[in-house]
Amino acid sequence: MLSDKLNGDKFDESLRRALRGHTEPVPTDFTAGLLRQIKQAQERRILARVVWEERLVLGGCVVLGVIIISAAVVFPGTAAGFTGQVKTLTDKIGQAVEVVSSWRQLYMVFAAMFGFAVYSLVDLLASDS
Amino acid sequence: MADSAGKEQGGEWFGRLVTGDHRAFAEFVDKYKESVFLCCRTLGLRNDEAEDVAGETFLAAYKALSRYKGQAELSTWLWRIAYHKGISFIRKKGRRIELLTEFSERFVDEKNGRPGAGIEAEEQAEVVWTAVKCLPRLWAVAVVLFYRQGKSVKEIAGIMRKRENTIKTYLFRARKELKKILVGILGEDIDVV
Repeated sequence: MLSDKLNGDKFDESLRRALRGHTEPVPTDFTAGLLRQIKQAQERRILARVVWEERLVLGGCVVLGVIIISAAVVFPGTAAGFTGQVKTLTDKIGQAVEVVSSWRQLYMVFAAMFGFAVYSLVDLLASDS
Repeated sequence: MADSAGKEQGGEWFGRLVTGDHRAFAEFVDKYKESVFLCCRTLGLRNDEAEDVAGETFLAAYKALSRYKGQAELSTWLWRIAYHKGISFIRKKGRRIELLTEFSERFVDEKNGRPGAGIEAEEQAEVVWTAVKCLPRLWAVAVVLFYRQGKSVKEIAGIMRKRENTIKTYLFRARKELKKILVGILGEDIDVV
């Protein structure tokens, strides 16, 4: 075989030895630079994903608003009925608050809600960083 | 180098590497950067070009490591990426390089300018390396893979995506040409010839 023949004599051995003796110069900061590049690429990718998610959320809000306004324009009767239902619901909530406000527990409910809001805010900021 | 990597495949370091651990990847780069630069320079890329292509190679490897199944040795797999990145870089640059037939102009300079006898072993290694770089690019890659990296003809064929017989022909012709060049540079009485 040709490869066997190539392996067979002194020239091959000398060539092998000489080529293995050669060291290829590499820029000293190559690894650090490459890792920096990878980190930057990852950061760009994460940022692009966050921006994309934000755009989706914003788009969803806009579309929801458009749907509500369109529904109110196209089906005014249904919208009026819905508004009435919402008003009844808010009245009922108001009555419930009045009843509960006489209790000391109301303060605890507000404290819990405030705590939840603070937790959400911290979580939001922490996940962003 | 390639052997130790082969043993590490399947080990703890390799596990961290394929899951995208930065420290393991830094070790991987440190271990193989010389090979990748060697591939780029054997293909005739200048220093700045070699740095770009080596960077691209490692970035591509970083992305593809999670899909690496270990059929080939890690060094063979990386050589394949580096080789094809280098070739596509040359093509993208629109350089009219005949990868198979063009001899470097340095061939003439080295042939005429080198002293004959009395060369140290270290310098002789550099002379041989210079002679290899004078070969047509594909021959040179085959020679480096076969003689320096210790790859088999089958592995070289896999890296270069050529038939095994083609690689054998490259090696045969390169060897013949190298002998001619080295006799021209160093004279008849040197150790390497």
